[in-house]
Amino acid sequence: MWQTNSADPAAVGVDSRQAVGGGVGRSVTVHPVLADGSPHAAMSPAIHAVGLSKRFGDTVAVDSLSITVQRGEVFGFLGPNGAGKTTMVKLLLGLARPTGGEALVLGAPLGDREARRQIGYLPELFRYQPLLTAREVLRLHCRLLALPKQTWRQEEHSALQTVDLVARGDDRVGTFSKGMQQRLGLGVALLGSPALVVLDEPTSALDPVGRHDVREIIRGLRERGSTVFLNTHLLQEAEHVCDRVAVIDKGRTVVTGSLAELLGRHGRVRLKVGGLGEGSWSGLDGFGHWHRDGEWTVVEGIDRSRIAELVGELVSRGGQIEAVIPEHQSLEARFLELLRER
Amino acid sequence: MNPTLTIAGLTIREAVRRRLLLAFVAITVVIVGVSAWGFDRLSHSNSLTSGEANLAVPQALILFMFMFSFVLALSASAIASPSISSELESGVLMTIVPRPIRRTEVLLGKWLGLATLLAGYAGGVCALEFGVVALVSGFVPPSPVLAGVYLFAEGALLLTLALLLSTRVPVIAAGVVGVAVFGAGWLAGVVGTLGTTFNIGALRTVGNVGRFVLPTDGLWHAAIYYLQPASLIAQHLADGTHGGDPFYAQGAPSWAYLLWVFCWFGIVLAAALASFERREL
Repeated sequence: MWQTNSADPAAVGVDSRQAVGGGVGRSVTVHPVLADGSPHAAMSPAIHAVGLSKRFGDTVAVDSLSITVQRGEVFGFLGPNGAGKTTMVKLLLGLARPTGGEALVLGAPLGDREARRQIGYLPELFRYQPLLTAREVLRLHCRLLALPKQTWRQEEHSALQTVDLVARGDDRVGTFSKGMQQRLGLGVALLGSPALVVLDEPTSALDPVGRHDVREIIRGLRERGSTVFLNTHLLQEAEHVCDRVAVIDKGRTVVTGSLAELLGRHGRVRLKVGGLGEGSWSGLDGFGHWHRDGEWTVVEGIDRSRIAELVGELVSRGGQIEAVIPEHQSLEARFLELLRER
Repeated sequence: MNPTLTIAGLTIREAVRRRLLLAFVAITVVIVGVSAWGFDRLSHSNSLTSGEANLAVPQALILFMFMFSFVLALSASAIASPSISSELESGVLMTIVPRPIRRTEVLLGKWLGLATLLAGYAGGVCALEFGVVALVSGFVPPSPVLAGVYLFAEGALLLTLALLLSTRVPVIAAGVVGVAVFGAGWLAGVVGTLGTTFNIGALRTVGNVGRFVLPTDGLWHAAIYYLQPASLIAQHLADGTHGGDPFYAQGAPSWAYLLWVFCWFGIVLAAALASFERREL
């Protein structure tokens, strides 16, 4: 039921309009509290945090963090263990109180009850009532969300189907593996078609198949217009599904932007081209630095937007293009580079 | 459905599935069965005159109900102390609290569910024990319903205290403190009784202060009062031993004391709600 998008992060829809805390200043205080479905609430960013901080005694868990997550985007919140990611999630959900800064979630102040009706949340530390069946857990959350009773059955079925637990729906949660409980948690987070889905390390207990399924679910959420705030330290996960990411470390933002911005416009392309002699390659230095790698020609530092132009040029010179493989720096490599630079 | 009632229903359902009730019912039936045999022997003993038996049966019933009041207090502490702290540690509450409900509704729902279970158990125990005693000896306490209500109130008081502790301290600490406080409350009552018997002002003050700080012993004595037949009260008055028996109550609780007990419930419950509301999760 979920559509699969291209796995190439560069091909993912990118919204580069949002700078970190760009232009918000103290204007956050005059935002109306709007989680009532009014046009203003619908137009406000899904998450808008300015200088959000959290201290535990002398320990600073979140240090003046500013982010803006637009509605409908999949936003990756990345960082090493202990970077303050989960604390940030707790602040956004009103589970902990900030010691500084301000934020609006779905246009409402932190912890607002009506806004929480529109939020689905899969916590990092998840456990569901072991003596209830999966269906009973889902029904409990339908009640707590105050969904219309006539929709409960459909919501239950849809959630179980999405997380592939229909066959285990009547089994007690206590008999589930940790991975199955995480799937159930994901199903719970999807109840009531929330406008914002906050997933805190959603694949920590899942096998590769489960991880793939989660990626599909996230893509499906984007298709239907939900915002996803993906808190993870698994960079591949973010690379596959996120429109934009923020990298944080020691409670502070290291960088925020689209994956294309983060990974840079310049990359590397590997070409396998037949029908061209040595002389045919002259005059192409403007695209980047050339070298041979066996039967491959590798162009380093090429602007990724000019790859098509390069291929066109080679064809016009009589080349037969057998393969073109654009390569870019992996998010993991860039992530490590960013952390080392600090 | 109101979120408080939803959480209360969930609490009861989980307790039932945990077979907690089944375990309590089983052990209670065994104890009541043994007591039936004992009361039968006592009321039909040849070594007692009928007058002595008429006094011995209510006294033995009060002792039995003291044991049940201890079981109630222990179970109230045991079921309430893990209700917040343990579920926060395991992560179960982290899936509930972010929902569009107030934390106060979660806590009140827990309290309501646990209090309902406790009321069911207290009612069941009283009905069984009083029924069995009436059947084998013919003795019926003067106000069995009021006695049951005060026994329940004693347990509910500890339940509320354990719930307050559960919002801040780990499960074992909350349980141990709950039971210890119950013991201390009862002991303060005994100390007060000794103070009255030997006319020692300081000990009497300990008893009086204890009954206000933790009204469990006061409620237990209210239950005793409604279990005592007029003949037992007359006997104590005639012997002049009314001050020296910790299993004897001189009178019904005053309205002022009952008002204080209501205030105590209100204060501790409000503290629990405020504590959970303010807790960082």
